[in-house]
Amino acid sequence: MKTFKFTESVKMSLRSIASNKIRSFLTALGVMIGVAAVIALVALGNGSQKSVEASLQSLGYNLLIVYSGQPKGPSLVRKNTTNIAPSLTDEDLNFLSNLPKNMVLHAAPESSVSAQIKFGNTNTGGTVVGTNLEYPSIRNFHPVYGAFFTEEELNSRKPVAVIGAQVYKDLFNEGFDPVGQKIRINGIAFTVKGIMEEKGSSMTDAQIFIPITTFQKYISGSDKYALINIQAANMDTMRDLQKFIEGELLHLHRLPGMDSADFYIANQLDLLNTMEGVTSTFTLLLASIAAISLLVGGIGIMNIMLVAVTERTREIGIRMALGAKSKDILSQFLTEAIILSVGGGLIGIIIGVLTSYGASRFGGMASVISVQSVFVAFGFAVVTGLFFGGYPAYQASKLDPIEALRYE
Amino acid sequence: MIKIENLSRYYKMGPTTVKAIDGINLSIEGGEFVSIIGPSGSGKSTLMNIVGCLDSPTTGTYSLAGEQTAALNKDQLAEIRNRHIGFVFQSFNLLPRESAVENVELPLIYAGVPPKDRRQRALEILKRVDLEGREYHLPNELSGGQRQRVAIARALAVRPKILLADEPTGALDTKTGAQIMELFRELQAEGVTLIMVTHDRDVAAQGKRIVEIRDGQILVDVPVQEWKR
Repeated sequence: MKTFKFTESVKMSLRSIASNKIRSFLTALGVMIGVAAVIALVALGNGSQKSVEASLQSLGYNLLIVYSGQPKGPSLVRKNTTNIAPSLTDEDLNFLSNLPKNMVLHAAPESSVSAQIKFGNTNTGGTVVGTNLEYPSIRNFHPVYGAFFTEEELNSRKPVAVIGAQVYKDLFNEGFDPVGQKIRINGIAFTVKGIMEEKGSSMTDAQIFIPITTFQKYISGSDKYALINIQAANMDTMRDLQKFIEGELLHLHRLPGMDSADFYIANQLDLLNTMEGVTSTFTLLLASIAAISLLVGGIGIMNIMLVAVTERTREIGIRMALGAKSKDILSQFLTEAIILSVGGGLIGIIIGVLTSYGASRFGGMASVISVQSVFVAFGFAVVTGLFFGGYPAYQASKLDPIEALRYE
Repeated sequence: MIKIENLSRYYKMGPTTVKAIDGINLSIEGGEFVSIIGPSGSGKSTLMNIVGCLDSPTTGTYSLAGEQTAALNKDQLAEIRNRHIGFVFQSFNLLPRESAVENVELPLIYAGVPPKDRRQRALEILKRVDLEGREYHLPNELSGGQRQRVAIARALAVRPKILLADEPTGALDTKTGAQIMELFRELQAEGVTLIMVTHDRDVAAQGKRIVEIRDGQILVDVPVQEWKR
């Protein structure tokens, strides 16, 4: 006697699934939603990770930032520095600017304040940033029209401004040439020199760059800097450079150690690592939520299969009387559970991929579908079917044919 | 064909032991038509289950076509059932969602017969039980007599040595029942061994040999001509 073939199990299962379409669909729905959720949520998590990385990279390369204020852990670059008394001096900047080019490529001071900007009767808000000529190179952020201010304008404290793309949109009609126009920043007239390229971040694009000297004269009234941007020459030695600068600045500020320092240095690598940590935790969190729904889907399968086994006790008895062995019955019910979970998984993949695509296309959310998550989710669905279908199938296979035949 | 020696089947019911069958000896030759008769609770169903290899004896031996069954495990018993025994039940026990021909194919699936041969054999057997034209009907589209004939066709599908019928006419009217008995006699003439359990003495009288059971023991075992009703 030949063994019961796998294809027979598949045929029987398909027939039984087809004979109760709504129930089969609802059973598979749990797995469907689970798999779709895993794929879509991981894609969104990955997407946010990628966009955070991209925005950190867009700050510039090999960036070290010396901040005024008490040292703390790595923090966001665009923190609010306006409430902290600037503590960085010209002496600090000169020291950093004059470091050899094989250590520091550029150093740019930065102080900022949020301000009202006016052109004629048009008003907008923005962040006025005072800096020097090194800034565009460090931040990889250049004028797209007109020009940045010049050394001459920096030295003579000229009221000139380079406006961000958003500021231009807010103040001027499209196509209007703003260069040479007078705008008012907190009531002081500035001549527009150029428009910065559009970075796509509302904060970045709402900045107005003016010479740091002008900023000190008209806006802050202080000769200190809120922060100094530094571009290191070599990424591999950034941490050593950070330590070195810390030591030297402590010495310049006549302070005994970092515990009492009035500045701290943020390292782009640390920020990147921190953000990666945060976003991968976020992704993991999303994935676990999704995994839970997959688990719930599996329990749904088990529930339905247990009901099916009870309902079909007599059928099982008949099959056994006609010569079905335990493993034939086991294989029939297990196959049914696996077909449901695999079918649900496949549809779930389609839904998940479409959802991720839709979220980025229509919802404006970054999503990056990871092939890994597709395989993991699908594999999990199969295992779910095996595991949660296994118990009911085993129960079915262990029925006593006499009892099963008598079952009403 | 069947040799039962000193066979008993006990059930544990809490502290007490119920002797469903208590020391039975019975031999049935190939081609016989035996009616097993007795009131309910007499042990005839238990005997039927053991003969049908659905159950195993507590003590004693049962050999079927020369094979000792007591030592066999569940799967081996399933194989014996599949190969040697055709079941006909009182309530037909057809799968409701499968057509007549698919029901007949069932035991052939477990016997590992390829799909094409299976269908051909099932159609032939349905023709044999006069169900030509009803092959693709579902059980609920058939009359009781037709359903029982599908069940008989299914029992015959693997060409078993023994046909075991448990109250085969119990759910049928007298006329249809008579037709089924007629079919049984024809099958016997073709060489099938028939064992039928019934409590209906008229139906039992259609067999060639009567075995009467009471309290788990054989009371009477005689040719039908010598049986006093």
